Amino acid sequence: MQLTPEEAEMLAGKQGNGKKKAMELLVALGEIYGADRLIPITSAHLSGVSYKTIGEGGIEFLEEMAKDSKVSVPTTLNPMGMDTMRWQEMGITEHFAARQMHIIRLYEKMGVEINCTCTPYLLTNRPRVGDHIAWAESSALSFANSVLGARTNREGGPGALAAAIIGRTPNYGLHLDENRRPTHIVEVDADIMKEEWSLVGHAVGRKLGSCVPFFRGLGNDVNGLKSLAAAMAASGSVAFFMVDKVTPDQPKTLEGLETVRIARKDIEESVQRLTSSKTPDLIAIGCPHLSENEMKQLASFLDGKTKKKDIEVWFCTSKGIYLRCPKERAVLEKFGKVLCDTCMVVAPIEGVHKVTASNSAKACSYLPGLCSQKVFCGSQRELLEMIL
Amino acid sequence: MRFKCRAIMKGKGIGRLLLLNEPFSFLGGVDTKTGELTVASGRQGEPIDGRIFVFPCGKGSTVGSYTIMDLKKHGHLPAAIINASAETIVATGAVMAGVPMIDKVDLSLLRDGDCALVDGDVLDMMDLDERKVVTCILRRKDKILLLKRSQKVGTNKGRWAGVSGFIERGERPEETALKEVAEETGITTARLEAMGAPLRVREGTNVWTIHPFLFEVGDEKVVLDWEHTECKWIALDELPGYDAVPGFRLVLDSLHL
Repeated sequence: MQLTPEEAEMLAGKQGNGKKKAMELLVALGEIYGADRLIPITSAHLSGVSYKTIGEGGIEFLEEMAKDSKVSVPTTLNPMGMDTMRWQEMGITEHFAARQMHIIRLYEKMGVEINCTCTPYLLTNRPRVGDHIAWAESSALSFANSVLGARTNREGGPGALAAAIIGRTPNYGLHLDENRRPTHIVEVDADIMKEEWSLVGHAVGRKLGSCVPFFRGLGNDVNGLKSLAAAMAASGSVAFFMVDKVTPDQPKTLEGLETVRIARKDIEESVQRLTSSKTPDLIAIGCPHLSENEMKQLASFLDGKTKKKDIEVWFCTSKGIYLRCPKERAVLEKFGKVLCDTCMVVAPIEGVHKVTASNSAKACSYLPGLCSQKVFCGSQRELLEMIL
Repeated sequence: MRFKCRAIMKGKGIGRLLLLNEPFSFLGGVDTKTGELTVASGRQGEPIDGRIFVFPCGKGSTVGSYTIMDLKKHGHLPAAIINASAETIVATGAVMAGVPMIDKVDLSLLRDGDCALVDGDVLDMMDLDERKVVTCILRRKDKILLLKRSQKVGTNKGRWAGVSGFIERGERPEETALKEVAEETGITTARLEAMGAPLRVREGTNVWTIHPFLFEVGDEKVVLDWEHTECKWIALDELPGYDAVPGFRLVLDSLHL
């Protein structure tokens, strides 16, 4: 990989240990993937925020980086392991909370914006078409590539932090035109509603694995597309997809591509595969984090109703959306907790809950492995009717 | 013997090899508090501290990068990591924790317990000696020539082989090849048909670097020297019936035979 004199200087440690470490990481990743050089990025988004996932090893790394380095581009964070205001209500231990806050302060010291969400693009971190970025949250990076037309690889947490510090990322993979081409055509049947796109994503990831699907039969619906991106990344590591007439990069040709049809039975099969129990003790909505629009829809559906069943309910969103929706929050709080900056997957719910219900195929995919949960996968309507 | 590799994390580490044949996940594969491998690795209880840890490639969760940091915190880092082909999780962890790491290494040449030094992009296998040889396949009308090695030769006595010989210092492999064909078979009109990429085969503390050659020969009679006692022209599908020298099949493969 060709380095500029300035990059070589940073690699040699002349601009501090944090930058040296960051350059070592970018060069190692660039070498593995055959990048020719580093390219400037306009923003970064980091995973590796919850104490539950990164543990003491992660803290040690962040402490080392925070000693003498700061991010050089606008950088946001993934959800952390708790709502900073309501961690006690969530059943979080004091030790966990203290270590979690330590992590947040380390990121803050490095100049990272403390807005912990998997939907940074709904708030302050919204890349433009053609921007090179280094994002690490699988659903957000897929959304940025596929709906916003920005360019990012599927970064790991440390790699995205290194890119944020240097302001550059190795030039390979989805930064290059030649890799932004569809590998399959996916026809989604007309009777499938946008509320079900999460399951469409799960079915596509399940059937095709890591691929670049070109979708027909989907429209331009931000909420639907964010759920689709999230589910497809979870089940098939998909980092980039194209939607007919929506994705800024439209394919030049579809010649020779295999067509896959997603029908009602595929949706049903996904639900069946993801469901392992029918009796949740936690209903969690907001994976990915709820948008303003979704908060409004939920509030207007629930307004005037009463909660009849005593099941814990979480509505997960970002601090930004939370602040924008005071009226909706007041309605939703009658049915459950509106939690900020965290979610059902990265919070340590194991030990507190046993069966979690979600309308997100992404959450339903991760809950058994990361949170030892049994899962009920249902539509938002089905989940809410369990408490009404 | 020294191997040029690809440096993933430059540094220096010396130790005995701890070699796994399967892809490895740090998350779940090692206990960070004791530094011992777990049952998932297939080598339960083996400590990785100070060893040069060799496995084909990483696998599993990205949290594995942080597991390597956890090993650092508990003072159980390996001296270095060697992969056949590096992937993101282990590479990221090695850089984060400052563990020297190289890849693009032919793991078939390494054995558990070997002494080694990783230094930048060089792997120095201190106890191994390299022996450079040519192996020449002579072909006549779809049959190849097998020679039975005599009891007077230094290695592989009594086994079947092609024409072979050590490359002398300063000699080009193709010069050695032509010379050996003439000496061992008396054939002087062999026509060079193909040269395969050099192969390496481990045997004891020797690494044989074999340069494969394919020659077409006419009806000239084969005259053996002291190195062989017998010769046979065989079709390729008859080969399994012969006790051939190690790596002989690989030589044929590299010549697309």
